[in-house]
Amino acid sequence: MIEEQRIIDFHGHTGRQDRYNWNDDPTAILHAMDKAGIDIACLFNIFHPDGTTGNDITARFVAAHPDRFVGFAYVSPTMPERMVPELTRAIDELNLVAIKLYPPYTQWDLHEPIWHPIYEFANARGLAVIFHTGADPHSHPSLLAACAAQFPKANFVAGHAGNIAEPRRAAIQVAQTYPNVYLETCSTFRTPGVIEKLVNEAGPDRVLFGSDISLMDPRPQLGKIITAHISEEAKRMVCGANAARLLGI
Amino acid sequence: MSTQFTFRPRVPVFDANVRVGDLHYEPSACRNREQLLAEMDRHEIEKALIYHAHTEELSPVDGNLFLEEWLGDEGRLFPQWSIMPTAESMAQVQRLHDQGRVRNVRLHDTRGAGLPFRAWAYGPMLTWLSEKRIPLWIPVPDADADELATTLQAYPDLVTVLVGAHYLHALLVRPLLTALPNTYLELSRFEPLGEVEALCSEYGSERFVYGSWYDRYAMGPMLFYLHHTELNDTDLALICAGNLLRILQGEGQHD
Repeated sequence: MIEEQRIIDFHGHTGRQDRYNWNDDPTAILHAMDKAGIDIACLFNIFHPDGTTGNDITARFVAAHPDRFVGFAYVSPTMPERMVPELTRAIDELNLVAIKLYPPYTQWDLHEPIWHPIYEFANARGLAVIFHTGADPHSHPSLLAACAAQFPKANFVAGHAGNIAEPRRAAIQVAQTYPNVYLETCSTFRTPGVIEKLVNEAGPDRVLFGSDISLMDPRPQLGKIITAHISEEAKRMVCGANAARLLGI
Repeated sequence: MSTQFTFRPRVPVFDANVRVGDLHYEPSACRNREQLLAEMDRHEIEKALIYHAHTEELSPVDGNLFLEEWLGDEGRLFPQWSIMPTAESMAQVQRLHDQGRVRNVRLHDTRGAGLPFRAWAYGPMLTWLSEKRIPLWIPVPDADADELATTLQAYPDLVTVLVGAHYLHALLVRPLLTALPNTYLELSRFEPLGEVEALCSEYGSERFVYGSWYDRYAMGPMLFYLHHTELNDTDLALICAGNLLRILQGEGQHD
């Protein structure tokens, strides 16, 4: 909690990748969150294409600290027959509340038809879908325009807000065009002025704080928002109020 | 320290890693020293060590000349001269040293330069820096870790500051700090979960310096991070300014 504002981190991972010393130790995660005043972290596991294995890991992780973590479901079109059944299980039985997709782990651009059963599922239930977005062709945020137009009751979140300048401009443009597109802030590219640009051009109600915890420590990523040259009201919206509204929590 | 929506550092801050000027392919958003000082004021950063962007890929010799116009005389911006192991670059830095103006130098992109960071190529430069007790900044992303360890171990009196380690370099950091007792780690990009506190616990806070690497990265986030850790104010003050001051005074050796 920061000055009575609940802080929600919209982008986090379960699982580990030892080459980066990336370890989802809940003690370390909660320590970092507590030191920065982060109340809730949204977590997902993108390391298992069946969806089931990673979603079960995420659900167990959340169950150990249900007041601190919220789980998102992951599925992959590399196993397309499993997508909707696994989403149904993850949302209805595991109580995960949104969907994470990672196009770089596939061979399809994020707007191609193979993904559409996921978007239809999200559209029918009014769920948020967060993508990795960046410069690579499968994940370019300009592709979100087609999704947002075709599935207006789903909310689409550009993870990393495109990450670097050109895709970031595209992400902002899509958010300006479609009311169901949001921009999430985590990135190791902490370029000066990015948070200000997202807030000023897409609107403070369309930007979500994220950190990439546990790959990265959430504190510098929260520091990007806190030390940005934006109003306190905008910081409150970005750091928690928008996510609470989007997730209904 | 409880978090507030307005952040102010609680210890004096001397930024160990600031870039000024334009890259040849990317103009800087910070156009002049007044804007740089204003950004430092916004984050309550008292002093900064600055190098010129032109030195990175084009010319340390020309870039050092361009740096002059940024320095001023209010005692807040301190020069970081860039150096290469060429006769002209060495002569330039040695002239500046003769004028009493060299407290540190920076070596860019040894991989990109195509000259391996080995004693046979860099020996005269490293010997001179060691003899003159001039600390050397080296960006980790642009160097070969094996060359760093092997070469610098042959110059045990040379103080070095390794800059810009990223999570991609997470496995390199501990072996380098262990192998090189007189090496410091600059923290501008070091974001692996909990690792600043862990490294300070393992190696001591005297091995680390705060840098933002502005204008490549925003000035405030890492400073905010350092103020929201387990570090006590003594350790925080060392990382935010004290260690850098000691290094620049030629007193950076640990062994």
